[in-house]
Amino acid sequence: MKSNNFIERSIVGVLEFLKDAIFAEEYALKKGFLQSLDPRVKIISFLLFIVQALLTKSIAVLFFLYAICLFLVLISRIGLGFFLKRTWIFIPLFSLFIVIPAIFSPGEALLTWHVLGAKLMITRQGLDGAAIFIMRVVTCESLVVLLSLTTKHFALLKVLRIFKIPDIFIMTLGMCYRYIYLFVGLIQNTYLAIKSRVGLGVQYQRGQNIVAWNIASLWNRSLRLNEQVYQAMLSRGYQGEVSVWNDFKIRARDRLWLFGVIILIIWIM
Amino acid sequence: MVIWGNYFDYMDNVMFELKDVYFSYLGKFPALCGINIRINQGQKISIIGANGTGKSTFLQILDGLIFADKGVLSFCGQQLNEKIFNAVKFSQEFRRKVGFIFQNPDVQLFCPTVKEDIVFGPLQLGFAKDQIQRRLEKLVTTLNIKELLDRSVQQLSIGEKRKIAIASTLIIDPQVLILDEPTAGLDPLTTRQIIDLLIEENNSGKTIITATHDLHIVEEISDIVYVFGVDKKIVKFGQADNILNDTALLTANNLVHIHSHKHKDKVHIHPHVHLDHHVDEH
Repeated sequence: MKSNNFIERSIVGVLEFLKDAIFAEEYALKKGFLQSLDPRVKIISFLLFIVQALLTKSIAVLFFLYAICLFLVLISRIGLGFFLKRTWIFIPLFSLFIVIPAIFSPGEALLTWHVLGAKLMITRQGLDGAAIFIMRVVTCESLVVLLSLTTKHFALLKVLRIFKIPDIFIMTLGMCYRYIYLFVGLIQNTYLAIKSRVGLGVQYQRGQNIVAWNIASLWNRSLRLNEQVYQAMLSRGYQGEVSVWNDFKIRARDRLWLFGVIILIIWIM
Repeated sequence: MVIWGNYFDYMDNVMFELKDVYFSYLGKFPALCGINIRINQGQKISIIGANGTGKSTFLQILDGLIFADKGVLSFCGQQLNEKIFNAVKFSQEFRRKVGFIFQNPDVQLFCPTVKEDIVFGPLQLGFAKDQIQRRLEKLVTTLNIKELLDRSVQQLSIGEKRKIAIASTLIIDPQVLILDEPTAGLDPLTTRQIIDLLIEENNSGKTIITATHDLHIVEEISDIVYVFGVDKKIVKFGQADNILNDTALLTANNLVHIHSHKHKDKVHIHPHVHLDHHVDEH
């Protein structure tokens, strides 16, 4: 019974994650400030912010960059609560745990106490280092999340072209992205079909057989789909080399934004 | 049985001609057995038949996606075979002239966004960017799909997917449109829109070849109807009204069935067309 619940929880979890990813694309379609920028310019400007966050040793600069990030969230019509929940749940908390030993590093003592004869000391340098580390993680992660929320996923893939990634690779990634959803739906329906016929009380070995048969069935379906999609590509003129539509346009707003970001980065360096 | 000559005598501009075409899967599962068909420019042809009678296989052969084991298939007088499609020039020319709309839009729409999918064909066929843009704008207006352009394909309904699949072929502006079950699973309004679009395309000179078992659309989209049988052969062909009025033929080929049902207190027993639109037959 437990193993079935585990499978159900896993399937539901994966589906929820993917649905959340689709939902997140709703933000990319909103008419906000970051959504209006050319994806190439947006990525370059965010890379500049992230590099600055990684190089700086000043917590004030990190706070400033984080404040800019939150301001961008607001003018891009993303709910602040949703954004904070999404960015503070896992990575920053995890960072907080791994940074705990650092607060005891040598330096000017702020708090001292004795445990079983051992002297424990929280230092100013340790706290500063930990704060900078956490702020750096939070800022970088928030910038990446903001970038992915405000940019359509396929546009992000297409921007890889500026790094000289071949079109066929971008096309293949795009197709993977497209068909993951289709197969997730198939898995969900197959699971429901099994549940409706055999219920949840399946013996362990029988359950293993069902799962194995379904993996094989999914493999077969994906092979068949692969053939059919290839035929559909051939039918529309594909001959081994792919051309990808490029409709990116850099406008005055993009140039102004990039110029502003560069000036800002130089100013806070 | 209809006499072949009646139809062929007045037809000059032959697009497709199949002579005694056989095809089998893995060499042992026959899908087509001795098919003879001639399709002329500007004609509307329907292929009807029950499931597993080889309709989709026939369409794939017409589109040069699979090749006959035996027999001859010609397109505009040029014999089609695997070798000739290896020539880039011929292949591009053929793909510009013949468009295929697959039964399953999830097969046809393989790009992450609607716009990418629509422009995929002309991009691969080397159309100029401004030409693609012009055609895209025209199609967007005709099919009323502006709101869908930036969406992911998985977020569309089946009707929307079908429209986009048609748009992705129409943007190439082919002379021949091949459609595999274009109205399967669609609501009546979307079905009507698609039928109107096909009629419009035919009026502009395009040849329309449709495989379907939705008999309600056959009359409107057919000059000639071919009935494929379970023996993978053409059972009969002729004008749509002749075929559709031949109840014995349709019953024998699993396209209608006899059943009884109640209207108020009276029980009716009569032949009944398969699929969605039961009310039409009453």
